[in-house]
Parts: sequence; C-alpha cells; structure tokens
Amino acid sequence: MNNPSSLEAQPLPDSNVPCLPYEVEALTLRHGRYTVIEELQLGLPSGQLTAIVGPNGCGKSTLLAGLARLHAPAAGRVLLDGRDIRGLPSAELATRVALLPQEALAPEGLTVTDLIRFGRQPHQAWWQQWSEEDQRVVAEALAAAGLESLADRSLDTLSGGQRQRAWIAMTIAQQTPVILLDEPTSALDLGHQLEVFELLRKLVGEGRTIVMVVHDLTSACRYADHLVAMRGGQIVAEGSPGEVVTSQLVRELYDVDCTLVEDPVTGKPLLAGLGRVQ
Amino acid sequence: MIERSSSAMPQSGSRLPSDHRLKDRVTAPRGYWWWRQGRFSVLIDRRDVLALLVLLLALLVASGTYLCLGNVPIAPAALWQMILGEGEAMPRFVVEQLRLPRLVAAVATGAAFAVAGCLMQTLARNRLATPGIIGIDNGATAFAVASVVGVGLSLAPSAMALAGATTAAVITFGLSVGGGARGYRFIVAGIGVGAVFAALTQLMLARSAIDLANAAWPWTVGSLNSRPPNATLVLLIGLVLGMPLSLWLARSLGLMRFSDAVAMSLGVPMRRRRFQVLATSVVLTGLAVAVAGPVGMVSLIGPEIARSLGSPRQVPVLGSALAGALVMVLADLCGRLLLAPLELPVGIVTAVVGGPWLLWILLRSSGSR
Repeated sequence: MNNPSSLEAQPLPDSNVPCLPYEVEALTLRHGRYTVIEELQLGLPSGQLTAIVGPNGCGKSTLLAGLARLHAPAAGRVLLDGRDIRGLPSAELATRVALLPQEALAPEGLTVTDLIRFGRQPHQAWWQQWSEEDQRVVAEALAAAGLESLADRSLDTLSGGQRQRAWIAMTIAQQTPVILLDEPTSALDLGHQLEVFELLRKLVGEGRTIVMVVHDLTSACRYADHLVAMRGGQIVAEGSPGEVVTSQLVRELYDVDCTLVEDPVTGKPLLAGLGRVQ
Repeated sequence: MIERSSSAMPQSGSRLPSDHRLKDRVTAPRGYWWWRQGRFSVLIDRRDVLALLVLLLALLVASGTYLCLGNVPIAPAALWQMILGEGEAMPRFVVEQLRLPRLVAAVATGAAFAVAGCLMQTLARNRLATPGIIGIDNGATAFAVASVVGVGLSLAPSAMALAGATTAAVITFGLSVGGGARGYRFIVAGIGVGAVFAALTQLMLARSAIDLANAAWPWTVGSLNSRPPNATLVLLIGLVLGMPLSLWLARSLGLMRFSDAVAMSLGVPMRRRRFQVLATSVVLTGLAVAVAGPVGMVSLIGPEIARSLGSPRQVPVLGSALAGALVMVLADLCGRLLLAPLELPVGIVTAVVGGPWLLWILLRSSGSR
C-alpha cells in the first residue's frame, strides 16, 4: 500500500452507478433437506426500492430471510457493504438492516408509541434507555407514518392499514439504511395498500434502500425502481420494471397470458386481459 | 462498541422543524419516570412501580401473618417486639427457629418458581409453557427422590434436582426438534416427559422401604415441611445470581414476545438468548424443587398475577418473583391452618387453587383471543 500507483489502480466509485449495499454470492438456502434457493447471484441497488416478485413457493420470502440473516445459508454468502453478514454481531446488524416480517404480531396492550419505541432498542442499552435522539426519532417516525393522532392508541384498536403503518414506523425508528419488508400490503385493501406504498416511496426518497417481497406485479411495476423476478429458486429477470416486465415474463412466472398496456397516467406497465395458459 | 449508523443515514428529520417543540423538551415517554445520572438514563414504568409496591405490601402483610398464626399464636405486637430484639424466649424460638426459616423457604421457592415460569412462558410465547407443565418439576423430583430413597439425604438433593431438571429439559427439547421452544409440540412433549418422570418417582417410592417412602411422600406432592438441609441456602444463592440475570434478560425478553423474526431484526441474538433464558429457568426450577418439591402451579399463577397488575410494555420478572412468593406464602399458610393440627402439603393447596385457575385461563383465552 506504500506504492502510490496501487491506489490509482483502485476503481473509483462512480456516483452515477448505484453502489450495491447487498450482494448475494452463490447463495444456497435449504429448509431441511429441501433446497429452496440454489447458487443465487444478486446485487441490490442502494437508495432504490427493489421489489421481489414471483409465484407462491418461488423462494422470495426465503431469500428475504436470508438477506436478514434469519435463515443461515447452506452455501454461499450475503455481503452487506462488502462484509459477510454472518460476521456481524446481532446488535450491529440491527442498526444496518430492519426487517418487517409478514403478519407481524405484537403482544397485547401496546400502544403505537410503545411499538415504535421498540425500534430504538438496537441503539440503546439497559443503562441508556432514553435520549433526546430517541425522542426525536420516535416523533419523526410517527410523523412519517402519519400516526401522530394515533400515538397513544392501543394497537388492538387500529385498522389493518394503520397497524401496518405503525409497524413500518417501528422499522423507520430503527434508523437503518436498509429496510426489508415481506409482503407489507398482503392483508390490506386497495386504499391502505397505496398508503403503505407511498410511505415506502417517501422513505426511498429520503435515501433509504428498501427491498420488499410483493405479490401484485402491477404494484411492483408502479412503485419499484428495480424488479427481481423469481421462479423455482432462480432469478428469471432483473432490472427496471419498464424493461423487464413483458407478457412473456408474466407467462413464465405465473403461467398466465396477458397483454401489457401502458398506464395512461403513470406510464408504467399494466397487466390486462389476464387468463390462464391453456 | 456499536457504531451509530445515524451518520450514514439521510436526515429524515428535515421535514420536521426540530427546533420548534422538541428542543430542550426531552420528556419521558407517556407512563414513565425518567431517571438520569451521568451515563445512566433509565426509564421506570409507573404502572410497574405501582404493581411492585402493591405486591410488596401484600407480601409483607402475608409474611407477618405467616409468622403470627399457627399452633402457637403470636400477637402482632409481640412479633414487633421480636423484630426490635426483645420478647420472651418461647415465642422467640417458635418464630426464629420454626416459622422464619420456613417463611424464607416459601418466599424463595415461590419467587424462583414464578420467575422460572415467567421466563419459560415468554420463551415459548405460550402461557401454558411453565416448568411445571412441561415436566421439568417432575424430572427434578424424580432425581431428588432417587437420592432420598436410594442413598439417603446425604447426597445433595439440590444437585440431584438440578440434574433432573436439566435432563427433563434436554429430553423435552430433543423430542420437540424442529418446533423449537414454541408451539404445542414443545408442550405436548413436555407433558409426556413429565408423566414418565412422575411414574418413575412413584415406582421408586413403591419399591423402597415404607419408612423411606413415607419420609419422601410429602415432598413429592410439594411441601415446605421436609426441607433437605442446606437446600434453601443453595436456592438463595441461586436467586442472588439468577435474579439479576433474569432482570438483565428482561430487555431481550420484551422483544422475544414478538415473533423470532422481529426479535432478531431488532438485534436479539436469539440462539444465545434462548439458551440463557432456558438455562436460567431450569436452574431456578431445579433448585426450588430441591427445597419444596414440585409446586409447579406457582410458576403458572405467579406470572399471571404479575402480568395482570403490571405494564404490558415489559415482561414482569420482578413482579413474578413477588407474586410467586406471595402465592407460596399464602398457600403454605392455608396448608398449615385449614386442617390444623394436621398439615396440608403446600403443593396440594396450590393444586386445588391452581386447577380451577388453569381452567379459567383456558376458557378465557379461547373466548377472547
């Protein structure tokens, strides 16, 4: 490293190319003897909203669990900012990556603020349970999720959409650069789905990296910057939704025939004339 | 140390004028007192403080009553004199030599059983998953009875009970592989293991000399009357170490009430914590069984009382200890008084109270949840 020319040989990071906070190298994940994902390669762009789509059982939730280190790899590795996540202490990982699992349940009797405060725990210790920063971040998370008026309401009394926003507010309060969400809108009606997606867009606008598993391809096209399409534990297509999503891809993923039209308002792809492949 | 990631974070606060209402106005979250001193910044849950005070007061009253009532009644005024170091020799003997050690044993076993129950329930996310129900009590009893009827009291029952509790826990875990410490598989496996150990205990009693079996019997149903020497001291040492550990674990336990995925995402090293929680629970149970036998119901009732009184924001470790001690003291008091001069073993009293309680929990939880 003493030789200055060796420094020049280093490729300089280009600010136009999004750097990859997450790199997945030859990742194999198994449930018992059943291999869900085999030798998967993937890079997830920083500061963007990535949607992972695919049919049921394609391994997308398992992949998300692998990214969050909930699922230990049978082979390969997951790199976060160039470091293998297996080497990170749990507390440190929790300040870098937040995960909101599907249908998260909370203990009874907690209020919205109580829940959000739990998101601060990775930044606290038993002798340091509250600070000015904690208070500021919790207030910001409440505001970001539009929950100020519900701050002291019990979670049990909220609607599904409000509760989901409270959970997302908890991950916001965790202040991680990366947020992973497993089907954040699966149990919500249309209006509440849009509420959640718009909140996620806002977070991406503030510089966070979000990776979400979604079922609805149209929503994925509408809100994601980057799309990862999976089937049978393999990546079928990857790239910006406008380029990647074709009627052929839809057929390949879901065995469904469709015609793609352009949304007259957003210009994003819309799926029309859906029908099972005969 | 953990590096704060806030520097790497976008300033999400830009949309909220922070100098408006937040500056200089750091306040405790609703329902807390905030204690600050140097590096320390601790939140104290008001409802928990209230609950702990109520439980402590109740425990003190119950303990006073426990010392006064019995075959030799002692006036509260006389008891107060004794506390001040005065009083006659005979009542002094009754209180200091007979009732006080037994009271200490009741408080210690009640606290240990209830904390162990609270830890195990939280670990399994199931209120039925107490050491008593999943067979750890029975494992400890079987081993301890083996030491009593096999080689006499000399072979430390504490060590034997600890070994038994550990054995039962390991077998239960082995049988519920895949399900982990969660769900009904764990509980069903535990009930099975407990039944086997209970049968082993009965078998040993049936095959041993009648005098030995008689001596061991009250202890197998749970009694404070036949405490092995030094077992209480060992339990007290266990509590001195186990209580701070449990209180330290409580922060993680608060997150472990959520799903595994949420707890791990919030930085709880689940594998290590699960082991620590389970080990603490097993050790406390084993040491308590060595003193009083399997008074498993306390590990169900104690945490339940603590939860209903305390704040839903945390896992009531300290509250469980006080509530468990209270239940044990009251149960043993009833056992001594109800059929006096005959004595009912405390395990029978807690079972008579605990059975209906268990039914109530089952019926209520299936109705409202």
